[in-house]
Amino acid sequence: MIRIENLSAGYLNKEILKKISCDIDKKDFFGIIGKNGAGKSTLLRVLCNLIKPYSGNVFIDGRNINSFSRKEFAKTVSFLPQCIDTSLSFTVSEFIMFGRYPYMNIFKIPSDDDYAAIKKVMNFLCIKNFAEKNINELSGGEKQIVLIAQVLVQETDIIVFDEPTSHLDIGNQNDILEILKDLNEKRDKTIILSLHDLNAAGEFCSKLILIENGSVCRQGTAEEVLNYRDIERVYNTTVVVKTNPISNRPYVIPVSKTGKR
Amino acid sequence: MSNKKFLFVYILMLVSVFVVFLFSLAIGLDGISFVDAVKALFGGAVDENVVVMIKQIRFPRIFMACIVGAGLAVSGCVFQAILKNPLADPFTLGISGGASLGAVAAFISGLAAIRSFFIPFCAFAGMIVSVSVVYLLSMRKRFNSNAMILSGVVVSYIFSSAVMLMFALSPENSVQTAFLWLMGNFSSFDERLLPFITAVVPICIIILSLSGNIINVVSLGGEKSKTFGINIERNIKFLFLTASFVTAATVSICGVVGFVGLMIPHIMRKIMGTNNVILIPASAFAGAFFLPLCDTLSRMLFSPVLIPVGVITSIIGGLFFICLLLKPDRK
Repeated sequence: MIRIENLSAGYLNKEILKKISCDIDKKDFFGIIGKNGAGKSTLLRVLCNLIKPYSGNVFIDGRNINSFSRKEFAKTVSFLPQCIDTSLSFTVSEFIMFGRYPYMNIFKIPSDDDYAAIKKVMNFLCIKNFAEKNINELSGGEKQIVLIAQVLVQETDIIVFDEPTSHLDIGNQNDILEILKDLNEKRDKTIILSLHDLNAAGEFCSKLILIENGSVCRQGTAEEVLNYRDIERVYNTTVVVKTNPISNRPYVIPVSKTGKR
Repeated sequence: MSNKKFLFVYILMLVSVFVVFLFSLAIGLDGISFVDAVKALFGGAVDENVVVMIKQIRFPRIFMACIVGAGLAVSGCVFQAILKNPLADPFTLGISGGASLGAVAAFISGLAAIRSFFIPFCAFAGMIVSVSVVYLLSMRKRFNSNAMILSGVVVSYIFSSAVMLMFALSPENSVQTAFLWLMGNFSSFDERLLPFITAVVPICIIILSLSGNIINVVSLGGEKSKTFGINIERNIKFLFLTASFVTAATVSICGVVGFVGLMIPHIMRKIMGTNNVILIPASAFAGAFFLPLCDTLSRMLFSPVLIPVGVITSIIGGLFFICLLLKPDRK
């Protein structure tokens, strides 16, 4: 379980998160939504120990994340950033191997276990056929799956994604989220992700938190958070919230100003 | 490429290094035959003058060229990876600036004339200064690669201006000798330093080769690289200091030999791919092959005039690289 207490954080002298508190339970599919610049990525960075908060604490299973060693933490939480600069021409399997580094010796020389682990994950995600391909030759969707493979070989209970679907088409977007859901339900992973797509958030997340200017505006189930009053106020626009007839989950439709009657 | 192919290329390169070594031993103005040269090296029955020539003059020189070539190529490879910049070389971070200033100071002040040992000593001291300045400047920016490159370039400029200033203020004959040193050559290094270099440089090369996997993740860069349980900043510091040390040790002995550190890693990358685990040893072999070859050519081409080996490395290497660029990429 993750507990975030009175967390304030930011960059240099610009405070972005203001005294955020929330709990994330084991096996949650936890979505973070909010406007651009609201502090979603900052929150994720603090959770992943990438930046130190100004004040407040983050506890994982009752243990302050500052007390973890780098290696220990890399075995507990893995992170998939928004975009990744891959100007280097690693092959897919070389690239996935980075995820095994927390388990390797000082010179990071892979053992048979490490090779077995990446083989298993590549089978699971059905990407064995491009194991030897250059990472830069892949399409956006394929790249995202390779990145997921990389966090999976890290074998952490908590996986953090920063907008995993932001530049994918709707098909790839659903594929990725289905994989995450699968991991969440069948492999008991705690998934924490930020999303721009409110409909995807409503459809897949078991819990949502809506952030406004660095503070929590509302948290709870998708039905509780995705109400038109909060969404309209936070995003400063007009929307209609309906229920998906198949999944019974809420979805949000934008309304054009000129279309309003 | 598969592991077998890599092994094949390694063996091929090792053999090439050996062949170049023997070839360089035998070639010279005094008409020693190839067979005699090999015999002299391994203690066969040949004329005593030949043994002295081969064992005491040519062997150390060629051996030094091998080690310096390997050292420069490896440190260039490491700098390109940790700075995430293909244009980086062992001298990007102002290392040559410090070396030049130190050595030129030794020449111009007359210390070099008293004891030739002062040249490498002053060059090394100059490099310690320039590397420390770059290190301290980069530390403030948490070893961000752009900040490192910028501080290196700035330090280079300051040091080379200081060298120019010294040149402008000193008599012509000392400028000539200092200038030849700056371009790099193997004709006048201090042989007492050979054991030191033979011990230190290969050890650093082995450490850097073993660190290939870590260098890979450092060169990946960005936030992602910080989530694999590795202290990236500390590793950059370690790699920067080790590679700088290799450069400093080699350059203080034979001057600023250009090109090897910049282009050998590029050429090997074209052939072997970007994985540093494979690339670093490959660069070491290629450097150990290339530099003795160039040194021998520099001895022979305009003999009896000795030309700086740096001139040869740049011309040959440059032409070879252009050919490699013109060839279409294999997929």
